[in-house]
Amino acid sequence: MSSREPEAGEEDTGSGHDAFGAAQRDALQRAIRLEWITLAWMTGTVVLVALVAGQSQAMQAAWAEDMLSLLPPIAFLVATRRIRKQPDRLHPYGFHRSIGVAHLVAAIALLTMGGYLVFDSVMGLVTVDRPPIGLTVLFGHAIWSGWLMVAVMLVTSIGPVILGLKKMKLSEQLHDKVLYADADMSKADWTTAVATIAGVLGVGLGLWWADATAALLVSVSILRDGVKNLRGSIGGLTDAEARTYDESEPHPLTLQIEVRAGQEPWVGEAAARVRDQGHVFHAEVFVVPRPGVEPSVRQVADLRDRIHELDWKVHDVVVAPVPELPPRQTFRSTLRT
Amino acid sequence: MRQVRHLILLGVLLLVVAGCQGNFPADTQGTLDRATEGELRVGIAENAPWTEVAPDGSVSGTEVELLNDYAETIDAEIRWIPGGENVLAAEMKEGNLDLVIGGLASDVPWTSEIALTRPYATAQGPDGKPVYIVMGVRPGENALLVDLERYLAERAGEL
Repeated sequence: MSSREPEAGEEDTGSGHDAFGAAQRDALQRAIRLEWITLAWMTGTVVLVALVAGQSQAMQAAWAEDMLSLLPPIAFLVATRRIRKQPDRLHPYGFHRSIGVAHLVAAIALLTMGGYLVFDSVMGLVTVDRPPIGLTVLFGHAIWSGWLMVAVMLVTSIGPVILGLKKMKLSEQLHDKVLYADADMSKADWTTAVATIAGVLGVGLGLWWADATAALLVSVSILRDGVKNLRGSIGGLTDAEARTYDESEPHPLTLQIEVRAGQEPWVGEAAARVRDQGHVFHAEVFVVPRPGVEPSVRQVADLRDRIHELDWKVHDVVVAPVPELPPRQTFRSTLRT
Repeated sequence: MRQVRHLILLGVLLLVVAGCQGNFPADTQGTLDRATEGELRVGIAENAPWTEVAPDGSVSGTEVELLNDYAETIDAEIRWIPGGENVLAAEMKEGNLDLVIGGLASDVPWTSEIALTRPYATAQGPDGKPVYIVMGVRPGENALLVDLERYLAERAGEL
């Protein structure tokens, strides 16, 4: 390959941390801290809700959801540890894919939560389940348990609101889909808390269907987030076209790589296969030299370096000069018009 | 996000309505209102010393005394309907009962048919572990539930 030695870990497969610039390293540290805070907050929530839940079915459901929402932060923390490892003979592509696996775990947690909530609330409505909410005696004072639930839900939803927004912002910066799925999970946590508040107050007014209806309203959007993340994570793991952190569109880097390759004077045509390995992309760039030009190894290596410089995410780049673009390996970016 | 804002708005609205309303929580089927100065339909499963049903149909026991006293606080007349726990649970589901007593433990399996009060007494089970004694209320009748629970807590000296 290149005649000069690449700086250690900068241009080859490397560990997940080698790919990061200073900004990303900083963002990752903040994300790790946020996830520890999330774990602590949700554990506190689980304990608090278990204390006031008693026999209330609605609150027991809320408790089960809180347990599920511990999964994405755990998956994130495990994955970010895994990607520190260097590639070896047994793992020639490195450990970047750990992020994709964690994304799958987070997506399934989200999907399970949404699916369970939809099922639970629909069953509640169909079977005309009238939630009983009775009295609690607190330090010699009688108080309707509903007020206690509302208070607990108000307090416990503060964390997910703030943490969710922060994680969403960092997930874009880091191209971290686990963090994105966990931000969706935080959103699910606080929207269900708000729904529980509305539901409990509705039940207090004598509207038996209030709790289930409010839960159904938010659970549909949780289910949708779960499906979106599941599709995205499976797409990533099965080498589908790399997409943006929120799965909204094909990632623009594929096109940028093709355009950059085409700018080399010796390149006639170029097409790239780019797959999302987690934080970073693995790019295979097929280039057809202009007629009569035989590119030197140095020229190919230089092109690889130029592509690598496009973005920190372009981490593991292979440039392959070919006589013509292989039609079943190259499809060009779908963003190209 | 729009959906969420609607939910918050709904919650605030409910809070305001709740604050304006005198009886909170309310029954979903108005049982407490109906029973006040009216009839309270109580299913009774025999379980001495809490409940006893004589061959002539007359009832006694500590829970019978408790409920008679409670009924006085709302000027209600009690109609006793004896039966086994499972029969009473089914009757409750059909909406034929307002309350069920019979020395029920807090871990009875009828929670989808009967709403349980908070434990008002503790007994000892055959295995020596504590058994928490509760009464059964028609589900969704949270005004009745809270009213009865408050009475039981006062009688037990908790309040």
